[in-house]
Amino acid sequence: MAAETHSTNPATMDTRQNDVIIEVRDANVSFSMDRGESRVLRDANLTVQRGEVLGVVGESGSGKSMLASAMLNAVVHPGQVDGEVIYHPQNGDPVDILSLSDKELAKLRWNEISFVIQAAQSAFNPTMTVGAHFEETLRAHGEDRDAGMAHARELLSDLYLEPDRVLGSHPHELSGGMKQRALIALSLVLKPEVLVMDEPTAALDLLMQRSIIGMLEDLQEKYDLTMVFVTHDMPLVTDLADRIGVMYAFEMIEIGSTDNVLDNPSHPYTRALLNAVPNISDRDMEIRGIEGRSPDPVNIPKGCTFNPRCPLATKECEVNDPDFRDIENDHEVACFHWERAREDIPLVARGDDSHSEPSTDGNGSFGGL
Amino acid sequence: MYYAKRIGQSILVFLIAVTVTFALYRMLPFGPVEMLKIQLMQQFIEQGSSPTPEQMAKINGMVQTYTGIDPSQPWYISYYEYIRDIVLYQDFGRSIFKQEPVFTILFKAMPWSIFISIYGLALGTTVSLLLGAGMAYTEGSRFDTGLTIFSIINTTVPYYVVAILTLIIFSFNLGWFPSGGRMDPATTPGINLPFIIGVVKHAALPVFSSFIAGFGGALAFRGNCIREMGEGYIRVAQLRGISKGRIAIRYVGRNALLPVYTSIMMGLAGLFGSSIILETIFNYPAMGYVTFNALLNRDYPLIMGAFIFFTAITLLGILVADLTYGIIDPRVKGGSNREAY
Repeated sequence: MAAETHSTNPATMDTRQNDVIIEVRDANVSFSMDRGESRVLRDANLTVQRGEVLGVVGESGSGKSMLASAMLNAVVHPGQVDGEVIYHPQNGDPVDILSLSDKELAKLRWNEISFVIQAAQSAFNPTMTVGAHFEETLRAHGEDRDAGMAHARELLSDLYLEPDRVLGSHPHELSGGMKQRALIALSLVLKPEVLVMDEPTAALDLLMQRSIIGMLEDLQEKYDLTMVFVTHDMPLVTDLADRIGVMYAFEMIEIGSTDNVLDNPSHPYTRALLNAVPNISDRDMEIRGIEGRSPDPVNIPKGCTFNPRCPLATKECEVNDPDFRDIENDHEVACFHWERAREDIPLVARGDDSHSEPSTDGNGSFGGL
Repeated sequence: MYYAKRIGQSILVFLIAVTVTFALYRMLPFGPVEMLKIQLMQQFIEQGSSPTPEQMAKINGMVQTYTGIDPSQPWYISYYEYIRDIVLYQDFGRSIFKQEPVFTILFKAMPWSIFISIYGLALGTTVSLLLGAGMAYTEGSRFDTGLTIFSIINTTVPYYVVAILTLIIFSFNLGWFPSGGRMDPATTPGINLPFIIGVVKHAALPVFSSFIAGFGGALAFRGNCIREMGEGYIRVAQLRGISKGRIAIRYVGRNALLPVYTSIMMGLAGLFGSSIILETIFNYPAMGYVTFNALLNRDYPLIMGAFIFFTAITLLGILVADLTYGIIDPRVKGGSNREAY
């Protein structure tokens, strides 16, 4: 449908195919609460290829932030993580991030894998200049200050910010979009391999969101980054991501190349989710929600977690939790009825291919905002 | 601009306070000036004669030396002279009881008050900030709950009750500390060990009591710290690999301090106020003690002088807090030289 709009051509995808940089195996995150154990990430399994952009989408409370935190072993206290997150450095042996000591973690984070938190607007200490945050980070990792700051300036320029003005400002003197971009620059100052972003464009207006996506695309190319981009905004990530993973009820339910997931969604939830995206060219502007509500993390439905809301659910779905199955090249789905889903849940015609509709060609045009 | 405006406001408030003293002094029917005049006139009447015009002039002259206000002048002239004397010559009048200039008495007593107040405040603030931070870091532990209960009890019990209790226990029962005075009479003032030990021993209980009075900040600081620890920038700093010590001081401590900073500086003013009660309890001859005795002796010039002194100190505390707040919190700096987005 819209294959030609994606930046990565299939040839380069294939060469990357088996150059895994992060492997998540059976990762679980749980919080113990008075009313029971709250499992906010369940048996997450996925691989991230070196140099790709993986988009993770899901509604609020689907566990996507937990997946992002788990990748850096940075789940907030008192959350418990188990499973394995294996990081394959460019040269050197793979390490399991979840079994590193605090000291080793402090070395790995930001240096190899960096993180942009959800609350970007409060990510800077209000009593320090933005520049001091950069210097402090370089010092904490024993990096050369001058070389590091030169890199910081370059990053800020890449993000269409004036380095001198931003570095000398206190956080309250910057706009939301500037703070967001300064945070992205801060997360890249130690030249990490991987950048994990948790809703990096939350709390920004649509224009700024779009222009940040454009800038991320450029950064990814320039610095050969691997990115994991977590968002609830499906249309936003489709232009950037090479692959998309869809989460529902603390589990990954469908993952595959962006084209496969968008053009050929095979999980009933993914199909319903895509149908729920409102379309501006739709005359009657009908909002098609999904019946019911997403489950409580303490009390997750037996079998397939989507079965209470799924129009295709059968007895089997109530008893067994479906495993991931390969349905085509680079497309996996956790559903027993994925073949029926394609026929029984027709995709609503989305005008002229909505997922690439708001083009980001003007990534520099809003840069000066 | 902001600084000039703020200092100007303080001067204005100070002048208003002086005006109020003047008004109380001079304009009040049977106020201090009139009372003094009547007292002096009565001395003549008791001697069996009503005062002659020359004697009357002498009485007015005496009233002026004591209070700085000549009752025979119209109010606006004496108001001008009163302000002029205070601002230009630091002439607050003369103590009726002690036969000394008010300024000299207060100026001599003040260092002692500052001595015990500053130590009390500095100690109270430091300890309560440290304990508050400790409680925040061990939130929910036995240490935290225990100290929370203690702090609540402590804020409920007024400091003067604590003062009397410490006096009973440590002075009368145990005899560890003297119950009054500010130095050991057997020592010679100067830089010598016995004298210094004497001074410290005499100051110990008042300082301890003002320390207790300034202790309530621990709970507020604990709350601020806990709130700060949940902020996004703490999480980012941890992820960036910033050391725990630096996060505790530069991130949590610094930001948690902002809301309590003003109240600490205001506490400075409050401590001088509480010194009237504290110094009377401990029989500690300093500002508060002098003021209280002046009150008992109806030594109006001294009371009024002390009133102006306390006003000035309070204003100074608030002014310093205001002027320095911009240094510790960059967000309140005058925004005129910065672009806003």
